[in-house]
Amino acid sequence: MNTKFFIYFSEILGKTVRDNHNRRAGRLCDVGIKINGEIYPKAAQLVLKRGLFIKKFAVIDWEESVKEVGDFIKLKIDRQQIEYAPKRMNCDFSLCRDILDQQIVDIDNHKVVRVNDLHLLRVESHLYLAHVDVGTRGLVRRLEWTGWVDRIVHFFSPHSAFLMQEDFISWKNAQVLNLGRVKNVLRLDVARQKLSQIPPIELAEIMGDLDKVEKGHLFRSLDVELQRKVFTDLATAKQAELIDQLDDKESVSLLENIPSDEAADLLLRLSKRKARNLMKLMETKVSKKLSKLLGFSKDSAGGLMTTEYLTLPQGALVSDALQKIKENTDSPGNIYNIYIIDDQNHLLGFAPLRNFIDADPQLPLILFLDPNKIFVRTNDKMEHVAVLLEKYKFSVIPVLNKEDVLQGVITIDDVMEELISIAWSKYKEKL
Amino acid sequence: MKQFIENLKQNTGIRNLMIFLSVMGPGMITANVDNDAGGIATYSLAGAHFGYSLLWSLIPITLALVIIQEMCARMAVVTGKGLADLIRENFGVKITFYLMLVLFVSNLSNVMAEFAGVAASLEIFGVSKFISVPLAGLFVWFLVVKGTYKSVEKIFLIACFFYVAYIISGSLAHPDWKFVVKQTITPQFQFDIHYIIMLVGIIGTTIAPWMQFYLQSSIVDKGTSVEEYKLVRLDVISGCIVAPLVAFFIVVACAATLFQTGVRIETAADAAVALRPLAGNYASWLFAFGLFNASLFAASILPLSTAYFICEGMGWEEGVDKKFSEAPQFFGLYTAMIVIGAGVVLFPNFPLLKIMYLSQVGNGILLPFVLIFMLVLINNQEIMGAYTNKPAFNVIAWLTVIVVIALTLLMVVLSFVFPL
Repeated sequence: MNTKFFIYFSEILGKTVRDNHNRRAGRLCDVGIKINGEIYPKAAQLVLKRGLFIKKFAVIDWEESVKEVGDFIKLKIDRQQIEYAPKRMNCDFSLCRDILDQQIVDIDNHKVVRVNDLHLLRVESHLYLAHVDVGTRGLVRRLEWTGWVDRIVHFFSPHSAFLMQEDFISWKNAQVLNLGRVKNVLRLDVARQKLSQIPPIELAEIMGDLDKVEKGHLFRSLDVELQRKVFTDLATAKQAELIDQLDDKESVSLLENIPSDEAADLLLRLSKRKARNLMKLMETKVSKKLSKLLGFSKDSAGGLMTTEYLTLPQGALVSDALQKIKENTDSPGNIYNIYIIDDQNHLLGFAPLRNFIDADPQLPLILFLDPNKIFVRTNDKMEHVAVLLEKYKFSVIPVLNKEDVLQGVITIDDVMEELISIAWSKYKEKL
Repeated sequence: MKQFIENLKQNTGIRNLMIFLSVMGPGMITANVDNDAGGIATYSLAGAHFGYSLLWSLIPITLALVIIQEMCARMAVVTGKGLADLIRENFGVKITFYLMLVLFVSNLSNVMAEFAGVAASLEIFGVSKFISVPLAGLFVWFLVVKGTYKSVEKIFLIACFFYVAYIISGSLAHPDWKFVVKQTITPQFQFDIHYIIMLVGIIGTTIAPWMQFYLQSSIVDKGTSVEEYKLVRLDVISGCIVAPLVAFFIVVACAATLFQTGVRIETAADAAVALRPLAGNYASWLFAFGLFNASLFAASILPLSTAYFICEGMGWEEGVDKKFSEAPQFFGLYTAMIVIGAGVVLFPNFPLLKIMYLSQVGNGILLPFVLIFMLVLINNQEIMGAYTNKPAFNVIAWLTVIVVIALTLLMVVLSFVFPL
């Protein structure tokens, strides 16, 4: 009787399976796992293979049939009871198909790694998935080279880290990515809980390491709030790739949730047909805003601006303004300035929060306007916008059309983003 | 002027061309790297020893190339994964490891051949190999460490353009065009063992295992969407046509001159030297320049791409933007290939021809596996969704692959029976 508590999956994979009369029933070719949010999920099915040229497969229940896992796998049942089929039946989630050799997210270290082997906990006849092996040792074990590689390493350096350390990730800190094949089984709330431990900016970086299909799966397993944060942290090119993976409904709800200037930039990257399609599906309010933004060239004030800003009518009081700000603390746009407009949407001026935060709430807001009446026109160049922002040390600037009607505002980060990419490409050209 | 540019933007034809140019690259580059030092040597020999009688084979080779490369491109666009990734995930680590091991050995000997090509071609211009080879090695290293994918791709596309040298060189040889065309479109066969070896050699150098990995990875890197797939396919097909076209002119240049006068050659550099008295200085220089361009081009791509897909398959950290300590395997492999590849060329009496022969055998053993894996992967619905091969295409693809495999195995056998 083997007394080792832990075994590697590579050690039992391909092992002979014998029935209760010690007759050969086939070889172990996969293990199905039941994933239900437990820290260490339990082996639920055993996938058998027999025959050399004409292969036959069978899936049997682990609990009911397995008696012992040792030098070979012993069953409680007679092999006549096993139904073999020429085609392999798939378990909901199995070690070979869905974890071994696939990429997973290491939640602790915030990176994507490839699985070399699995570390299983053995309690009587039950197996539990405990760790994921991502180290070189696992790789060598899979190649069945452990013996001589260990001897060579031991000869040169007996205390080498290679011999002592295993590169394990605990299963609770590992997130499987190949949700495409197993989407109905993995509990989304578990994935969510795991992934929410990673800051959005890191998640965005992890997404950069994934191929596009996996990107889509990982993204879908995030909640709406996290989706929005991660999405805005992605580069526009990556965003377009991701939208490609989402269905129209998912794309639309995402586009409605991110700042309108980013949404417009993104729509520009998509093919015309797709963009038009998505616009049609959007709420009219959002699509109107977006189609306005899309009409401007990318490096003009109109192309840079966002339509998320706060406005109040002429007669508004300071209390109205404070109320408005409180209501919009969650909005992605700038909330430190209130724009005062007349009933035809002409801009009369803007009141910075700094000016009225301590004022008597009953005073009219119009007393607290910023003395500088600066603005840009929709077709002004980005350089002009940048110069004005720098000159007046503003972080936001309003954008008007020819009739002085307020169209949107430009925040300094949008200008910075463009300028940095220009500066960067110039710098690269010099190299 | 502004109006003019606006008009241009409105014109759908030009817009489509611009979109195509933005997607273009991987297919064109892969196909052209294929005409590397080894390729040019094979085509020169084919022309010099068998005249125009092997030209016809370029047409079926082009078709086979298109069919195989298209599948890679499709897998890249649909799955967003490299071929090494897909093989690892679907066939396991053992197979992947041995595949990568053979790929490394055969690519390493290819890299040696490329640096030898650099040395030989520049020696025609009077540059010592002790200057040219270290400089070429530094250039290759510098390109990757300092460049970005975009700038490097531009340099590579320019290198593709320089293959025009061979087209001019072929024309300078004044072949009898009518006869050339007739020979190209009429298949023929000689029951001569040397002819068969040459024929199989041409197929072997044109359809190589590393290309499939490189093409797929570089399309994935470009991040092309399924919607743009038609353009990707166009890029791949144009590459697959341009590369054999260049091969065609190399064969013609050598056939019109060396074959007519019965000059025997052993390498591509021999061909360049032998061309001088027959087709003039310019033809000879262009031929040598083309060899230099092709060798350097392939030497820039092979070490990097090999390091990439080995790390991809084995799950090691990869990427030139990482530090050495973060991706030791990647930089180790990359550096080893350049240092060994450039270093051995400087050794006097290094058995280069033997090494190239070894690389050809390695490729020949590898190719059947790679092609069969590709066909299995592309017909897997779980991976490809609605983009698996259509039944009719599948028949053509399997037939192509079986013929290519049979011929490559024949080449391996022939190389054992008739070594060099």
